[in-house]
Amino acid sequence: MQAFFDSWPLFRETYLAAWWIAALLGLVGVLVVARDQIFVGAAISQASTLGIALGMCVGAAFASEGSVWRSDAFLSVVAVAFAVGAALLIARSSGIGKESHEAVTGFVYLLGASAAVLVIARSPHGLDEVQKLAGSSVIGASAVDVRIFAGLTLVTAVAVFVRRRALVLFAMDPLMARAVGVSRIWDGAAAAWLGLVMGMTIRSAGMLFSFGLLVLPALVAKNVCRATLPMFVVAPLVAVAASVAGFVAGNVSNQNEAQFTVALLCGLLALAWLARSFRHA
Amino acid sequence: MTTRGTPVERSEFLLRAVDLSAGHGRKTVLEGVNLSIRPGEFWFFLGTNAQGKSTLLNTLLGVLPKKGGAIETGRGLDRAAIGYVPQRCDLAPNLPTTAHEFVSLGLVGLAVDRAERDVRVRDALAEVGLGGLERKSYWAMSGGQRQRVLVARALARRPRLLCVDEPMNNLDLVTERNLLSLLARQNRDEGLTVVFVTHDVSVAAHFATHVALVHGRAADVGPKAQLLKPDLLERAYGAPVTIVPLVGMEPARPAPIGATV
Repeated sequence: MQAFFDSWPLFRETYLAAWWIAALLGLVGVLVVARDQIFVGAAISQASTLGIALGMCVGAAFASEGSVWRSDAFLSVVAVAFAVGAALLIARSSGIGKESHEAVTGFVYLLGASAAVLVIARSPHGLDEVQKLAGSSVIGASAVDVRIFAGLTLVTAVAVFVRRRALVLFAMDPLMARAVGVSRIWDGAAAAWLGLVMGMTIRSAGMLFSFGLLVLPALVAKNVCRATLPMFVVAPLVAVAASVAGFVAGNVSNQNEAQFTVALLCGLLALAWLARSFRHA
Repeated sequence: MTTRGTPVERSEFLLRAVDLSAGHGRKTVLEGVNLSIRPGEFWFFLGTNAQGKSTLLNTLLGVLPKKGGAIETGRGLDRAAIGYVPQRCDLAPNLPTTAHEFVSLGLVGLAVDRAERDVRVRDALAEVGLGGLERKSYWAMSGGQRQRVLVARALARRPRLLCVDEPMNNLDLVTERNLLSLLARQNRDEGLTVVFVTHDVSVAAHFATHVALVHGRAADVGPKAQLLKPDLLERAYGAPVTIVPLVGMEPARPAPIGATV
Protein backbone atom coordinates (compact mmCIF):
# COMPACT_ATOMS: atom_id res chain seq x y z
CA MET A 1 0.00 0.00 0.00
CA GLN A 2 2.83 2.34 0.91
CA ALA A 3 4.25 1.82 -2.58
CA PHE A 4 1.07 3.29 -4.05
CA PHE A 5 1.16 6.36 -1.81
CA ASP A 6 4.84 6.81 -2.58
CA SER A 7 4.05 6.83 -6.30
CA TRP A 8 1.23 9.37 -5.90
CA PRO A 9 3.30 12.57 -6.42
CA LEU A 10 4.78 11.17 -9.63
CA PHE A 11 1.68 9.54 -11.09
CA ARG A 12 -1.12 11.63 -9.65
CA GLU A 13 -2.34 12.80 -13.08
CA THR A 14 -2.20 9.26 -14.43
CA TYR A 15 -4.31 7.88 -11.60
CA LEU A 16 -6.83 10.71 -11.67
CA ALA A 17 -7.18 10.54 -15.46
CA ALA A 18 -7.73 6.78 -15.29
CA TRP A 19 -10.39 7.12 -12.60
CA TRP A 20 -12.25 9.83 -14.49
CA ILE A 21 -12.05 7.61 -17.59
CA ALA A 22 -13.46 4.74 -15.52
CA ALA A 23 -16.42 6.85 -14.36
CA LEU A 24 -17.03 8.15 -17.89
CA LEU A 25 -16.91 4.73 -19.53
CA GLY A 26 -19.03 3.25 -16.73
CA LEU A 27 -21.78 5.76 -17.52
CA VAL A 28 -21.61 5.41 -21.31
CA GLY A 29 -21.33 1.63 -21.03
CA VAL A 30 -24.81 1.35 -19.52
CA LEU A 31 -26.31 2.51 -22.81
CA VAL A 32 -24.11 0.10 -24.78
CA VAL A 33 -25.07 -2.85 -22.58
CA ALA A 34 -28.74 -1.85 -22.46
CA ARG A 35 -28.80 -1.88 -26.27
CA ASP A 36 -27.01 -5.23 -26.28
CA GLN A 37 -24.25 -3.80 -28.49
CA ILE A 38 -21.24 -4.84 -26.47
CA PHE A 39 -18.83 -5.41 -29.34
CA VAL A 40 -19.42 -1.92 -30.70
CA GLY A 41 -16.84 -0.80 -28.15
CA ALA A 42 -14.23 -3.23 -29.48
CA ALA A 43 -14.93 -2.26 -33.10
CA ILE A 44 -14.67 1.45 -32.33
CA SER A 45 -11.40 0.82 -30.48
CA GLN A 46 -9.94 -0.90 -33.52
CA ALA A 47 -11.12 1.85 -35.86
CA SER A 48 -9.51 4.38 -33.56
CA THR A 49 -6.25 2.41 -33.67
CA LEU A 50 -6.41 2.49 -37.47
CA GLY A 51 -6.80 6.27 -37.28
CA ILE A 52 -3.73 6.56 -35.07
CA ALA A 53 -1.76 4.32 -37.43
CA LEU A 54 -2.75 6.44 -40.43
CA GLY A 55 -1.97 9.62 -38.49
CA MET A 56 1.51 8.33 -37.67
CA CYS A 57 2.12 7.42 -41.31
CA VAL A 58 1.01 10.87 -42.47
CA GLY A 59 3.30 12.47 -39.89
CA ALA A 60 6.27 10.29 -40.85
CA ALA A 61 5.79 10.76 -44.59
CA PHE A 62 4.92 14.43 -44.93
CA ALA A 63 6.07 16.31 -41.82
CA SER A 64 9.32 17.07 -40.14
CA GLU A 65 10.22 16.30 -36.52
CA GLY A 66 8.40 18.67 -34.16
CA SER A 67 5.66 19.46 -36.68
CA VAL A 68 2.03 19.57 -35.54
CA TRP A 69 1.35 16.58 -37.82
CA ARG A 70 3.58 14.51 -35.58
CA SER A 71 2.11 15.76 -32.31
CA ASP A 72 0.02 13.85 -29.78
CA ALA A 73 -2.78 16.33 -30.31
CA PHE A 74 -2.97 15.47 -34.03
CA LEU A 75 -3.02 11.73 -33.26
CA SER A 76 -5.76 12.30 -30.68
CA VAL A 77 -7.86 14.19 -33.23
CA VAL A 78 -7.42 11.43 -35.81
CA ALA A 79 -8.22 8.76 -33.21
CA VAL A 80 -11.43 10.54 -32.24
CA ALA A 81 -12.40 11.19 -35.88
CA PHE A 82 -12.04 7.51 -36.77
CA ALA A 83 -13.86 6.42 -33.63
CA VAL A 84 -16.79 8.76 -34.29
CA GLY A 85 -16.86 7.73 -37.97
CA ALA A 86 -16.93 4.04 -37.04
CA ALA A 87 -19.68 4.58 -34.45
CA LEU A 88 -21.82 6.48 -36.98
CA LEU A 89 -21.17 3.87 -39.68
CA ILE A 90 -22.31 1.08 -37.36
CA ALA A 91 -25.37 3.04 -36.25
CA ARG A 92 -26.45 4.00 -39.77
CA SER A 93 -25.59 0.83 -41.66
CA SER A 94 -27.76 -1.51 -39.64
CA GLY A 95 -31.50 -1.62 -39.31
CA ILE A 96 -34.64 -2.62 -41.21
CA GLY A 97 -33.74 -3.84 -44.69
CA LYS A 98 -30.03 -3.41 -44.03
CA GLU A 99 -27.18 -5.58 -42.76
CA SER A 100 -27.37 -6.86 -39.18
CA HIS A 101 -25.77 -4.83 -36.42
CA GLU A 102 -23.38 -7.66 -35.57
CA ALA A 103 -22.24 -7.98 -39.19
CA VAL A 104 -21.37 -4.28 -39.52
CA THR A 105 -19.69 -4.29 -36.10
CA GLY A 106 -17.60 -7.32 -37.11
CA PHE A 107 -16.66 -5.67 -40.39
CA VAL A 108 -15.47 -2.48 -38.67
CA TYR A 109 -13.53 -4.47 -36.07
CA LEU A 110 -11.74 -6.65 -38.61
CA LEU A 111 -11.02 -3.78 -40.99
CA GLY A 112 -9.56 -1.70 -38.15
CA ALA A 113 -7.51 -4.56 -36.74
CA SER A 114 -6.01 -5.72 -40.03
CA ALA A 115 -5.50 -2.37 -41.73
CA ALA A 116 -3.89 -0.77 -38.66
CA VAL A 117 -1.11 -3.37 -38.60
CA LEU A 118 -0.63 -3.22 -42.38
CA VAL A 119 -0.44 0.57 -42.36
CA ILE A 120 1.91 0.84 -39.41
CA ALA A 121 4.18 -2.13 -40.13
CA ARG A 122 6.77 -0.12 -42.02
CA SER A 123 6.69 2.92 -39.78
CA PRO A 124 9.52 3.28 -37.24
CA HIS A 125 8.18 2.45 -33.74
CA GLY A 126 4.76 1.90 -35.34
CA LEU A 127 4.19 -1.62 -34.13
CA ASP A 128 5.35 -0.59 -30.65
CA GLU A 129 2.64 2.07 -30.66
CA VAL A 130 -0.04 -0.39 -31.77
CA GLN A 131 1.06 -2.89 -29.13
CA LYS A 132 1.01 -0.15 -26.51
CA LEU A 133 -2.55 0.78 -27.48
CA ALA A 134 -3.66 -2.84 -27.51
CA GLY A 135 -2.01 -3.63 -24.20
CA SER A 136 -3.12 -0.49 -22.38
CA SER A 137 -0.72 1.64 -20.47
CA VAL A 138 -2.14 4.71 -18.79
CA ILE A 139 1.23 6.04 -17.75
CA GLY A 140 1.89 9.53 -19.01
CA ALA A 141 -1.43 11.36 -18.57
CA SER A 142 -1.12 15.09 -18.02
CA ALA A 143 -3.12 17.62 -16.01
CA VAL A 144 -4.87 18.57 -19.27
CA ASP A 145 -5.99 14.95 -19.69
CA VAL A 146 -7.41 14.99 -16.17
CA ARG A 147 -9.40 18.14 -16.93
CA ILE A 148 -10.64 16.82 -20.27
CA PHE A 149 -11.89 13.54 -18.82
CA ALA A 150 -13.37 15.25 -15.77
CA GLY A 151 -15.25 17.60 -18.11
CA LEU A 152 -16.47 14.78 -20.34
CA THR A 153 -17.62 12.81 -17.30
CA LEU A 154 -19.53 15.71 -15.82
CA VAL A 155 -21.21 16.59 -19.13
CA THR A 156 -22.20 12.95 -19.62
CA ALA A 157 -23.46 12.64 -16.04
CA VAL A 158 -25.62 15.76 -16.34
CA ALA A 159 -27.05 14.62 -19.71
CA VAL A 160 -27.80 11.16 -18.34
CA PHE A 161 -29.42 12.58 -15.19
CA VAL A 162 -31.63 14.99 -17.14
CA ARG A 163 -32.73 12.54 -19.86
CA ARG A 164 -32.32 9.19 -18.10
CA ARG A 165 -35.82 7.88 -18.78
CA ALA A 166 -35.75 8.87 -22.44
CA LEU A 167 -32.31 7.27 -22.73
CA VAL A 168 -33.50 4.00 -21.23
CA LEU A 169 -36.61 3.97 -23.42
CA PHE A 170 -34.46 4.74 -26.46
CA ALA A 171 -32.15 1.84 -25.52
CA MET A 172 -34.95 -0.60 -24.70
CA ASP A 173 -37.47 0.21 -27.38
CA PRO A 174 -36.39 2.63 -30.13
CA LEU A 175 -39.74 2.37 -31.97
CA MET A 176 -41.73 3.37 -28.89
CA ALA A 177 -39.21 6.14 -28.23
CA ARG A 178 -39.80 7.55 -31.71
CA ALA A 179 -43.56 7.21 -31.37
CA VAL A 180 -43.54 9.36 -28.22
CA GLY A 181 -41.36 12.01 -29.80
CA VAL A 182 -37.76 11.04 -29.02
CA SER A 183 -36.00 12.37 -32.10
CA ARG A 184 -34.33 9.98 -34.52
CA ILE A 185 -31.28 12.26 -34.17
CA TRP A 186 -30.65 10.47 -30.87
CA ASP A 187 -29.30 7.45 -32.74
CA GLY A 188 -26.58 9.53 -34.39
CA ALA A 189 -25.95 11.64 -31.30
CA ALA A 190 -25.51 8.58 -29.07
CA ALA A 191 -23.18 6.97 -31.61
CA ALA A 192 -21.14 10.16 -32.03
CA TRP A 193 -20.79 10.60 -28.26
CA LEU A 194 -19.72 6.97 -27.86
CA GLY A 195 -17.17 7.47 -30.65
CA LEU A 196 -15.87 10.67 -29.07
CA VAL A 197 -15.50 9.07 -25.65
CA MET A 198 -13.86 5.91 -26.98
CA GLY A 199 -11.54 7.85 -29.29
CA MET A 200 -10.38 10.06 -26.42
CA THR A 201 -9.90 7.21 -23.97
CA ILE A 202 -8.16 4.86 -26.43
CA ARG A 203 -5.48 7.45 -27.07
CA SER A 204 -4.87 7.90 -23.33
CA ALA A 205 -5.59 4.49 -21.85
CA GLY A 206 -5.38 1.94 -24.66
CA MET A 207 -7.84 -0.59 -25.99
CA LEU A 208 -8.02 -3.12 -23.19
CA PHE A 209 -8.71 -0.58 -20.44
CA SER A 210 -11.19 1.39 -22.58
CA PHE A 211 -13.15 -1.61 -23.85
CA GLY A 212 -13.02 -3.37 -20.48
CA LEU A 213 -14.23 -0.34 -18.54
CA LEU A 214 -16.93 0.31 -21.13
CA VAL A 215 -18.66 -3.05 -20.85
CA LEU A 216 -17.62 -4.84 -17.65
CA PRO A 217 -18.95 -2.39 -15.00
CA ALA A 218 -22.26 -2.09 -16.87
CA LEU A 219 -22.50 -5.88 -17.10
CA VAL A 220 -21.81 -6.18 -13.37
CA ALA A 221 -24.50 -3.55 -12.72
CA LYS A 222 -26.91 -5.38 -15.03
CA ASN A 223 -26.52 -8.51 -12.92
CA VAL A 224 -26.90 -6.87 -9.51
CA CYS A 225 -29.59 -4.27 -10.19
CA ARG A 226 -33.33 -4.98 -10.29
CA ALA A 227 -34.04 -2.14 -12.71
CA THR A 228 -32.19 -0.35 -15.51
CA LEU A 229 -32.16 3.21 -14.14
CA PRO A 230 -30.03 2.35 -11.07
CA MET A 231 -27.40 0.94 -13.44
CA PHE A 232 -26.43 4.55 -14.24
CA VAL A 233 -25.30 4.89 -10.61
CA VAL A 234 -23.98 1.39 -9.95
CA ALA A 235 -21.87 1.00 -13.12
CA PRO A 236 -19.70 4.13 -12.65
CA LEU A 237 -19.27 3.31 -8.95
CA VAL A 238 -18.14 -0.23 -9.81
CA ALA A 239 -15.82 1.15 -12.50
CA VAL A 240 -14.17 3.69 -10.20
CA ALA A 241 -13.92 1.28 -7.26
CA ALA A 242 -12.40 -1.44 -9.44
CA SER A 243 -9.92 0.93 -11.05
CA VAL A 244 -8.84 2.36 -7.68
CA ALA A 245 -8.37 -1.18 -6.35
CA GLY A 246 -6.69 -2.28 -9.58
CA PHE A 247 -4.26 0.63 -9.54
CA VAL A 248 -3.36 0.13 -5.90
CA ALA A 249 -2.95 -3.65 -6.31
CA GLY A 250 -1.09 -3.29 -9.59
CA ASN A 251 1.26 -0.78 -8.05
CA VAL A 252 1.90 -2.87 -4.96
CA SER A 253 2.50 -6.05 -6.97
CA ASN A 254 4.42 -4.22 -9.69
CA GLN A 255 1.97 -5.35 -12.40
CA ASN A 256 0.26 -3.41 -15.21
CA GLU A 257 -2.51 -1.45 -13.46
CA ALA A 258 -4.87 -1.37 -16.44
CA GLN A 259 -4.75 -5.12 -16.91
CA PHE A 260 -5.11 -5.64 -13.17
CA THR A 261 -8.25 -3.49 -13.20
CA VAL A 262 -9.81 -5.35 -16.14
CA ALA A 263 -8.99 -8.74 -14.58
CA LEU A 264 -10.55 -7.58 -11.32
CA LEU A 265 -13.71 -6.52 -13.16
CA CYS A 266 -13.87 -9.90 -14.90
CA GLY A 267 -13.73 -11.53 -11.48
CA LEU A 268 -16.50 -9.25 -10.23
CA LEU A 269 -18.65 -10.12 -13.25
CA ALA A 270 -18.14 -13.84 -12.64
CA LEU A 271 -19.23 -13.30 -9.02
CA ALA A 272 -22.26 -11.31 -10.17
CA TRP A 273 -23.26 -14.12 -12.56
CA LEU A 274 -22.85 -16.63 -9.73
CA ALA A 275 -24.96 -14.52 -7.37
CA ARG A 276 -27.61 -14.13 -10.04
CA SER A 277 -27.78 -17.86 -10.71
CA PHE A 278 -28.24 -18.51 -6.97
CA ARG A 279 -30.94 -15.84 -6.83
CA HIS A 280 -32.86 -17.49 -9.66
CA ALA A 281 -32.29 -21.05 -8.42
CA MET B 1 -58.45 6.09 -16.67
CA THR B 2 -59.29 9.59 -15.47
CA THR B 3 -58.79 12.25 -18.14
CA ARG B 4 -58.16 12.29 -21.84
CA GLY B 5 -57.49 15.98 -22.40
CA THR B 6 -59.61 18.53 -24.23
CA PRO B 7 -62.89 17.11 -25.58
CA VAL B 8 -63.09 17.08 -29.36
CA GLU B 9 -66.28 17.17 -31.40
CA ARG B 10 -67.03 13.77 -32.86
CA SER B 11 -67.04 15.19 -36.35
CA GLU B 12 -63.47 16.40 -35.95
CA PHE B 13 -60.67 14.08 -36.92
CA LEU B 14 -57.84 13.07 -34.64
CA LEU B 15 -55.51 11.98 -37.38
CA ARG B 16 -55.85 12.31 -41.14
CA ALA B 17 -53.78 10.98 -44.02
CA VAL B 18 -54.06 12.78 -47.35
CA ASP B 19 -52.68 11.00 -50.41
CA LEU B 20 -50.10 9.40 -48.14
CA SER B 21 -47.22 7.30 -49.49
CA ALA B 22 -45.39 5.08 -47.03
CA GLY B 23 -42.42 2.73 -47.09
CA HIS B 24 -39.07 2.00 -45.53
CA GLY B 25 -35.59 2.58 -46.84
CA ARG B 26 -35.88 3.34 -50.54
CA LYS B 27 -38.90 1.08 -50.94
CA THR B 28 -42.40 2.54 -51.26
CA VAL B 29 -44.97 0.07 -49.93
CA LEU B 30 -48.20 2.09 -50.04
CA GLU B 31 -49.39 4.99 -52.18
CA GLY B 32 -52.37 7.31 -52.21
CA VAL B 33 -53.78 6.43 -48.79
CA ASN B 34 -56.59 8.71 -47.58
CA LEU B 35 -58.20 8.18 -44.20
CA SER B 36 -59.59 10.16 -41.28
CA ILE B 37 -59.61 8.73 -37.77
CA ARG B 38 -62.24 10.35 -35.56
CA PRO B 39 -62.61 10.25 -31.77
CA GLY B 40 -64.11 7.04 -30.39
CA GLU B 41 -63.60 4.99 -33.54
CA PHE B 42 -62.07 1.53 -33.45
CA TRP B 43 -59.96 1.07 -36.56
CA PHE B 44 -58.47 -2.14 -37.85
CA PHE B 45 -55.66 -2.18 -40.40
CA LEU B 46 -56.12 -5.54 -42.12
CA GLY B 47 -54.20 -7.49 -44.71
CA THR B 48 -51.83 -10.36 -45.28
CA ASN B 49 -48.22 -10.29 -44.12
CA ALA B 50 -45.82 -7.80 -45.71
CA GLN B 51 -48.57 -5.70 -47.33
CA GLY B 52 -47.70 -2.62 -45.30
CA LYS B 53 -50.15 -2.54 -42.36
CA SER B 54 -47.46 -1.82 -39.78
CA THR B 55 -45.67 0.49 -42.20
CA LEU B 56 -48.87 2.53 -42.56
CA LEU B 57 -49.29 2.75 -38.78
CA ASN B 58 -45.65 3.63 -38.16
CA THR B 59 -45.79 6.32 -40.83
CA LEU B 60 -48.96 7.83 -39.36
CA LEU B 61 -47.18 7.96 -36.00
CA GLY B 62 -44.01 9.50 -37.43
CA VAL B 63 -41.90 6.47 -36.50
CA LEU B 64 -41.12 6.09 -40.21
CA PRO B 65 -40.72 9.14 -42.46
CA LYS B 66 -43.52 9.49 -45.02
CA LYS B 67 -42.70 9.11 -48.71
CA GLY B 68 -45.29 11.61 -49.87
CA GLY B 69 -48.65 13.21 -49.13
CA ALA B 70 -49.60 14.70 -45.79
CA ILE B 71 -50.44 13.64 -42.25
CA GLU B 72 -52.63 16.05 -40.32
CA THR B 73 -53.38 15.90 -36.62
CA GLY B 74 -56.61 17.23 -35.18
CA ARG B 75 -57.00 19.79 -32.46
CA GLY B 76 -55.69 18.52 -29.15
CA LEU B 77 -53.81 15.56 -30.58
CA ASP B 78 -50.11 15.85 -29.92
CA ARG B 79 -47.47 13.30 -29.00
CA ALA B 80 -48.63 13.36 -25.40
CA ALA B 81 -52.06 12.11 -26.45
CA ILE B 82 -50.82 9.12 -28.41
CA GLY B 83 -50.18 5.68 -26.94
CA TYR B 84 -48.31 3.05 -28.92
CA VAL B 85 -47.99 -0.68 -28.40
CA PRO B 86 -45.27 -1.92 -30.76
CA GLN B 87 -45.32 -5.28 -32.47
CA ARG B 88 -42.43 -6.35 -30.31
CA CYS B 89 -40.08 -4.81 -27.79
CA ASP B 90 -36.43 -5.50 -28.59
CA LEU B 91 -35.43 -5.55 -24.97
CA ALA B 92 -31.84 -6.70 -24.48
CA PRO B 93 -31.92 -10.18 -22.94
CA ASN B 94 -32.13 -10.05 -19.18
CA LEU B 95 -31.84 -6.27 -19.00
CA PRO B 96 -33.15 -5.76 -15.48
CA THR B 97 -36.45 -3.96 -15.27
CA THR B 98 -39.55 -4.09 -13.14
CA ALA B 99 -43.14 -3.65 -14.26
CA HIS B 100 -43.10 -0.22 -12.58
CA GLU B 101 -39.98 0.97 -14.37
CA PHE B 102 -41.09 -0.43 -17.70
CA VAL B 103 -44.51 1.23 -17.55
CA SER B 104 -43.08 4.50 -16.24
CA LEU B 105 -40.97 4.77 -19.40
CA GLY B 106 -44.23 5.26 -21.27
CA LEU B 107 -44.40 8.70 -19.69
CA VAL B 108 -41.30 9.97 -21.50
CA GLY B 109 -42.04 13.35 -23.02
CA LEU B 110 -44.79 14.19 -20.51
CA ALA B 111 -44.33 16.67 -17.69
CA VAL B 112 -45.35 14.53 -14.71
CA ASP B 113 -43.88 14.62 -11.22
CA ARG B 114 -42.91 11.54 -9.27
CA ALA B 115 -46.21 11.24 -7.37
CA GLU B 116 -48.26 11.58 -10.56
CA ARG B 117 -46.00 9.08 -12.28
CA ASP B 118 -46.54 6.51 -9.53
CA VAL B 119 -50.31 7.01 -9.69
CA ARG B 120 -50.39 6.62 -13.46
CA VAL B 121 -48.21 3.51 -13.39
CA ARG B 122 -50.33 1.92 -10.65
CA ASP B 123 -53.59 2.77 -12.46
CA ALA B 124 -52.33 1.50 -15.82
CA LEU B 125 -51.15 -1.80 -14.35
CA ALA B 126 -54.47 -2.19 -12.54
CA GLU B 127 -56.35 -1.54 -15.79
CA VAL B 128 -54.56 -4.42 -17.51
CA GLY B 129 -55.13 -6.72 -14.53
CA LEU B 130 -51.62 -6.54 -13.11
CA GLY B 131 -52.36 -4.43 -10.04
CA GLY B 132 -49.96 -5.12 -7.19
CA LEU B 133 -47.21 -6.42 -9.46
CA GLU B 134 -45.37 -3.11 -9.76
CA ARG B 135 -42.16 -4.49 -8.26
CA LYS B 136 -42.21 -7.76 -10.18
CA SER B 137 -39.38 -8.34 -12.64
CA TYR B 138 -40.40 -8.09 -16.29
CA TRP B 139 -38.49 -11.30 -16.93
CA ALA B 140 -40.37 -13.20 -14.24
CA MET B 141 -43.66 -12.56 -16.07
CA SER B 142 -45.37 -14.81 -18.58
CA GLY B 143 -45.59 -13.85 -22.26
CA GLY B 144 -49.19 -12.73 -21.79
CA GLN B 145 -48.30 -10.61 -18.76
CA ARG B 146 -45.46 -8.95 -20.69
CA GLN B 147 -47.88 -8.13 -23.47
CA ARG B 148 -50.21 -6.53 -20.95
CA VAL B 149 -47.30 -4.56 -19.49
CA LEU B 150 -46.68 -3.20 -23.00
CA VAL B 151 -50.33 -2.10 -23.17
CA ALA B 152 -50.08 -0.60 -19.67
CA ARG B 153 -47.05 1.40 -20.78
CA ALA B 154 -49.15 2.94 -23.54
CA LEU B 155 -52.20 3.49 -21.29
CA ALA B 156 -50.09 5.25 -18.65
CA ARG B 157 -49.92 8.21 -21.04
CA ARG B 158 -53.73 8.44 -20.78
CA PRO B 159 -53.87 8.68 -24.54
CA ARG B 160 -56.74 9.79 -26.74
CA LEU B 161 -55.43 7.62 -29.56
CA LEU B 162 -54.03 4.16 -28.86
CA CYS B 163 -52.19 2.38 -31.68
CA VAL B 164 -51.62 -1.34 -31.28
CA ASP B 165 -49.39 -3.13 -33.77
CA GLU B 166 -50.09 -6.87 -34.19
CA PRO B 167 -50.07 -7.63 -30.48
CA MET B 168 -51.50 -11.13 -30.87
CA ASN B 169 -48.40 -12.74 -32.36
CA ASN B 170 -47.24 -15.47 -29.97
CA LEU B 171 -50.17 -15.00 -27.60
CA ASP B 172 -52.35 -17.86 -26.44
CA LEU B 173 -56.11 -17.65 -27.04
CA VAL B 174 -57.05 -16.62 -23.50
CA THR B 175 -54.46 -13.85 -23.36
CA GLU B 176 -55.50 -12.66 -26.81
CA ARG B 177 -59.16 -12.50 -25.76
CA ASN B 178 -58.32 -10.70 -22.52
CA LEU B 179 -56.31 -8.11 -24.43
CA LEU B 180 -59.11 -7.53 -26.92
CA SER B 181 -61.68 -7.24 -24.12
CA LEU B 182 -59.49 -4.69 -22.40
CA LEU B 183 -59.20 -2.56 -25.54
CA ALA B 184 -62.92 -2.92 -26.26
CA ARG B 185 -63.74 -1.74 -22.75
CA GLN B 186 -61.41 1.24 -23.10
CA ASN B 187 -63.01 2.11 -26.42
CA ARG B 188 -66.61 1.71 -25.25
CA ASP B 189 -66.40 3.11 -21.71
CA GLU B 190 -63.63 5.69 -21.97
CA GLY B 191 -64.09 6.73 -25.58
CA LEU B 192 -60.52 5.78 -26.35
CA THR B 193 -59.83 5.81 -30.09
CA VAL B 194 -58.02 2.63 -31.11
CA VAL B 195 -56.05 1.67 -34.22
CA PHE B 196 -55.34 -2.05 -34.24
CA VAL B 197 -53.12 -3.81 -36.77
CA THR B 198 -53.84 -7.48 -37.43
CA HIS B 199 -54.45 -10.03 -40.18
CA ASP B 200 -57.39 -11.54 -38.26
CA VAL B 201 -60.61 -10.59 -40.07
CA SER B 202 -62.87 -12.26 -37.49
CA VAL B 203 -61.52 -10.06 -34.73
CA ALA B 204 -62.01 -6.98 -36.91
CA ALA B 205 -65.57 -8.05 -37.79
CA HIS B 206 -66.36 -8.23 -34.09
CA PHE B 207 -64.74 -5.07 -32.79
CA ALA B 208 -64.13 -2.63 -35.63
CA THR B 209 -66.04 0.49 -36.49
CA HIS B 210 -63.74 1.21 -39.43
CA VAL B 211 -61.31 -0.79 -41.50
CA ALA B 212 -58.34 -0.19 -43.78
CA LEU B 213 -57.84 -3.18 -46.09
CA VAL B 214 -54.18 -2.98 -47.08
CA HIS B 215 -53.16 -4.78 -50.26
CA GLY B 216 -51.30 -4.20 -53.51
CA ARG B 217 -49.66 -0.86 -52.58
CA ALA B 218 -53.05 0.63 -51.69
CA ALA B 219 -55.56 0.70 -48.85
CA ASP B 220 -59.36 0.47 -49.14
CA VAL B 221 -60.70 2.54 -46.29
CA GLY B 222 -64.12 2.96 -44.73
CA PRO B 223 -66.72 1.77 -42.23
CA LYS B 224 -66.59 -1.93 -41.42
CA ALA B 225 -69.92 -2.67 -43.08
CA GLN B 226 -68.70 -1.36 -46.43
CA LEU B 227 -65.44 -3.25 -46.51
CA LEU B 228 -65.80 -6.60 -44.78
CA LYS B 229 -67.55 -8.14 -47.78
CA PRO B 230 -66.55 -11.51 -49.28
CA ASP B 231 -65.43 -10.16 -52.66
CA LEU B 232 -63.33 -7.34 -51.17
CA LEU B 233 -61.78 -9.65 -48.60
CA GLU B 234 -60.95 -12.27 -51.23
CA ARG B 235 -59.27 -9.62 -53.34
CA ALA B 236 -57.25 -8.37 -50.38
CA TYR B 237 -56.28 -11.77 -49.00
CA GLY B 238 -55.95 -13.64 -52.30
CA ALA B 239 -58.27 -16.40 -51.12
CA PRO B 240 -61.84 -16.75 -49.79
CA VAL B 241 -62.05 -15.52 -46.20
CA THR B 242 -64.45 -16.91 -43.62
CA ILE B 243 -65.43 -14.69 -40.74
CA VAL B 244 -65.84 -16.72 -37.55
CA PRO B 245 -68.10 -15.18 -34.91
CA LEU B 246 -66.31 -14.57 -31.61
CA VAL B 247 -68.71 -16.25 -29.21
CA GLY B 248 -69.10 -14.73 -25.77
CA MET B 249 -67.44 -11.41 -26.48
CA GLU B 250 -69.40 -8.21 -26.57
CA PRO B 251 -68.62 -5.74 -29.35
CA ALA B 252 -66.60 -2.64 -28.63
CA ARG B 253 -69.42 -0.35 -29.71
CA PRO B 254 -72.97 -1.09 -30.78
CA ALA B 255 -72.91 -1.97 -34.46
CA PRO B 256 -74.22 0.83 -36.70
CA ILE B 257 -77.88 0.36 -37.67
CA GLY B 258 -78.18 -1.71 -40.80
CA ALA B 259 -74.57 -2.73 -40.75
CA THR B 260 -73.83 -6.15 -42.17
CA VAL B 261 -70.64 -8.10 -42.44
